[in-house]
Amino acid sequence: MPRASAERPIANHDVILKTKGLALGYGRRTVLEDVTLEVCRGQCWFLVGPNGSGKTTFLKAILGMLSPRAGTLWFHPDFAHREQIGFVPQRCDLNPTLPTTVREFVLLGLAGLRVKRREEGARLAWALEKVGLAGLESQDYWSLSGGQRQRALVARTLVRRPAFLLLDEATSGLDWPATAAFLHTVSELNRLDGLTILFVTHDLAIAARHATHAALFSAGRVHAGPGHDVLSAANLERAYGTPIALP
Amino acid sequence: MIHDFLASWPLFSNTYLAGWLIGVLLSLIGVFVVARDQIFLGAAITQASTLGIAAGMWMPTVVAAEMFPWLRSDGFLAFMAVVFSIMAALVTAGTSEAGGESRESITAWVFLISASLSILLVAHSPHGLQEIHRILSSSIIGASTADVWTFGALAGLTIAWIGASRRRLLLLALDPAMAEAVGMRTARWAVVLAAWLGLTVGLALRSSGMLYTFGCLVLPALCAKNLCREVRAMFFTAPLVALGAGVAGFVLAHHYDFPPAQMAVALLGLALVIAWSLRWARHRTRTS
Repeated sequence: MPRASAERPIANHDVILKTKGLALGYGRRTVLEDVTLEVCRGQCWFLVGPNGSGKTTFLKAILGMLSPRAGTLWFHPDFAHREQIGFVPQRCDLNPTLPTTVREFVLLGLAGLRVKRREEGARLAWALEKVGLAGLESQDYWSLSGGQRQRALVARTLVRRPAFLLLDEATSGLDWPATAAFLHTVSELNRLDGLTILFVTHDLAIAARHATHAALFSAGRVHAGPGHDVLSAANLERAYGTPIALP
Repeated sequence: MIHDFLASWPLFSNTYLAGWLIGVLLSLIGVFVVARDQIFLGAAITQASTLGIAAGMWMPTVVAAEMFPWLRSDGFLAFMAVVFSIMAALVTAGTSEAGGESRESITAWVFLISASLSILLVAHSPHGLQEIHRILSSSIIGASTADVWTFGALAGLTIAWIGASRRRLLLLALDPAMAEAVGMRTARWAVVLAAWLGLTVGLALRSSGMLYTFGCLVLPALCAKNLCREVRAMFFTAPLVALGAGVAGFVLAHHYDFPPAQMAVALLGLALVIAWSLRWARHRTRTS
């Protein structure tokens, strides 16, 4: 069974991503300044903060879609290749009139990789099993529920066998059972397969429950650290400008 | 009927071969047009190509054509058709941005301005107006050996490109955000795709006219969309549908003395109705 890990194993808690004094922006507008944090292997990070505070901008920088204006963005050498980093978008704007199966949709994730046909089948079966869609590969993609489609998005990323998984508001639009099933999948990937997770969300309750670490984005700055420290009532009130009580 | 058709082969072989190769070539590219739900874009690019030909006919009337005799050559008209269709494809290839104009609006503008200018430019030239009407109504009679080789080469290159990069091209067409996230240079790919679309449509339009070009671009891919369960199967089905309609259309047109391009497009339209029916029946069977 393929495993979602880097080919050259790295010790647990090795730093895989480090930023120091990182500044990001678009055109003349600076969105983030002085971002300093360290992500270690196996950690589950949640990125929270008000709209427009730079969470997605930070993800874009990690994905190489945005160059730093200042500071450093360092990756462990095992993560220098893009296939070690998987990205799950908020949604997939697939043309709904197009015919496609779960297999075809998930295997699109292999774009740009040289993978033998037999290996493709193994990766597909493994990814679908991981997200709880085993046996549905021949099914029409459009017959899946919203929650299943979201998990198919994760499977599409997993076939690349990433060791570092970035999710951008991947539970928005899902109902409670679908959200719970989705988070269970992500949590298992982190716990059992050792995937490092970076999850952007607006749902603070989810973040408080699942985060080992958190980054609170606000007013162009980032407060990062262990989840229970960062997601304190005082920090949240300062970031959102209103008292927030977490369960 | 078949015997009659085969008897006409020595006289019309270039026309038949060019028509079929255009069908195969455009149907392959049409899969991307249909996958991105940009069917109107195909019409706009085809119309822009017609404007290119009209502009090519108009230029010798305003510049000293005796100094530049090549302005009156067929090659120059083909060049203008390709240039204008590539320009239209590139102009409409951008993405809609918040606060800006939508891609559909720009496509509509390209279509309408091209349609009006292509007539206005040649309105006072009887020969020019006749040529534009011929292009709009489509005629594939008169294709040369060079056309056959050109479209054969373009079809071969397109098949090779799709074979080598099918998954990346599909991801780009279906989910550009993901394509960018996996490291594809999406802007560069989009420009190359748009240029290739413009090149093939421009050349096809010069040889086969607007109706046949637009018909082969969208109808086989639409048939394939309704017949297939996966997009990858559309790359096999669409050219087969185009080829089937082309062969049947040319045979019927020859036998009943109808224009071949119109006959082939009519058959493609009929094939789409059959494909819709089959999809509807399949859906009913599944849900009952």
